[in-house]
Amino acid sequence: MSSDFETYEQDFGTITAEVTNKIGKIPKLSGEEKTQLVLNVDKQLEEVRELLEQMDLEVREIPIQSRAMYTTRLKSYKQEMEKLEKDFKRSRIAYSDEVRNELLGDDAISSEGQRAHLLDNTERLERSSRRLEAGYQIAVETEQVGQEILSNLHTDREKIQKARERLRETDANLGKSSRILTGMLRRIIQNRVLVFVLGAIILLTIILAIYLNLRSH
Amino acid sequence: MDNSGKEKEAAALMADAEKKLKSSQSFFGSLFGSSSKLEEACDMYVRAANMYKMAKNWCAAGNAFSKAAHLHLQMQSKHDAATNLIDAGNAFKKADPQEAINCLNRAIEIYTDMGRFTIAAKHHITIAEIYETELVDIDKAIAHYEQAADYYKGEESTSSANKCLLKVATYAAQLEQYQKAIEIYEQVGTYAMDSTLLKYSAKDHFFKAALCHFCVDMLNAKLAVQKYEEMFPAFSDSRECKLLKKLLDAYEEQNVEAYTDSVKEFDTISRLDQWLTTMLLRIKKTIQDDESDLR
Repeated sequence: MSSDFETYEQDFGTITAEVTNKIGKIPKLSGEEKTQLVLNVDKQLEEVRELLEQMDLEVREIPIQSRAMYTTRLKSYKQEMEKLEKDFKRSRIAYSDEVRNELLGDDAISSEGQRAHLLDNTERLERSSRRLEAGYQIAVETEQVGQEILSNLHTDREKIQKARERLRETDANLGKSSRILTGMLRRIIQNRVLVFVLGAIILLTIILAIYLNLRSH
Repeated sequence: MDNSGKEKEAAALMADAEKKLKSSQSFFGSLFGSSSKLEEACDMYVRAANMYKMAKNWCAAGNAFSKAAHLHLQMQSKHDAATNLIDAGNAFKKADPQEAINCLNRAIEIYTDMGRFTIAAKHHITIAEIYETELVDIDKAIAHYEQAADYYKGEESTSSANKCLLKVATYAAQLEQYQKAIEIYEQVGTYAMDSTLLKYSAKDHFFKAALCHFCVDMLNAKLAVQKYEEMFPAFSDSRECKLLKKLLDAYEEQNVEAYTDSVKEFDTISRLDQWLTTMLLRIKKTIQDDESDLR
């Protein structure tokens, strides 16, 4: 199991060494040889990729306890391979310094620097577009939050309007009830006055009756 | 703390109140001061219930409140009875949802009798929420939400009515009652269009309505999208409308990858919530079914 892994590792080591070698040579060549070499390196990179896949499968079969070491190794191999690919790409587009200097004289700006500059700019553009996207996301979220708040406000507005109407109604009703109460009070006083008056009249009538009775005796 | 002490006090109060009740029902009590006895008994029940609440004995608190409500009904003060029933319902909510729903139903009957529909609607919503969360009976929850929306409409609180209707529509769509959901979403969307506060949510409603159309039939969805664009020009600028158009195209071409791609793209900007994912998945399944049918 792990011996397979080690064989893969060794293969990986040898092939990567060859590839680095060839990548170093590419810029200096031209024409037929260059295309040959490029194809070669391509093939070898394919082999390396397949190796990495195999190693991945191997690692998955290893039980979890001993897996950690192998996964770290695998990761470092993957990074190495990515670096190789980048170098390969660079080397294909990079002209050899010697050839350019021959053409343009010794004070030609190194094209390597220009390539690096371009890559830098592309990265910066990508970063800014990512930031813009994030900003857009936040704006959309804000809009959604705003929607909710607005609908809550609308409901609250209706409730407050209802409450105000009810208050006005209650006020009117209270006014009415206070008027009724004053009416009641007035009637009570009227009734009491009436009772007193009637009582007085009855008393007077009784006194008159007694007086007349006594007079007629 | 002294919760157990409170419970004992509460139990003592309850016993006292029951004694008062019994005494008021005897011959002399009914002659002499029965109403004040009833009131006192009511009071004691309420105090006992509050103490049970402090002791977190929700069932007993609910019971005490229901007894108080019963007495209030006998004394013909419906308002107080209803308030006590609501308190009972709240207490039972934490312990026994079914009892809570019973109490709340009785309270709602009293309120609708008195003509206080707004409060009745509010409590319908509470019951519907209980059905949503604790008893998970979506049909009854929908029924209560609808009832609440009707009461709110009757009281001219269209915004609250719309809130309830939206909930009804979400559940209806989940239960595949697409027609109902479409009607509600269109109604709410048209209402929202005209209001300055709500117009930013209108596009969301039209989007959901179009999705429901889509679940039923694609041609409907196309016509619907055109109709909404006419009614509401701002809708065509929204990302949702663009997504809809892409989905319609993908559906016409029976292209599952294009569908998934456009959905993924939309998701990166604004995460799709549960309901949307369910609906979109259903539509996607119909595409896949159609594909496999053709094969």
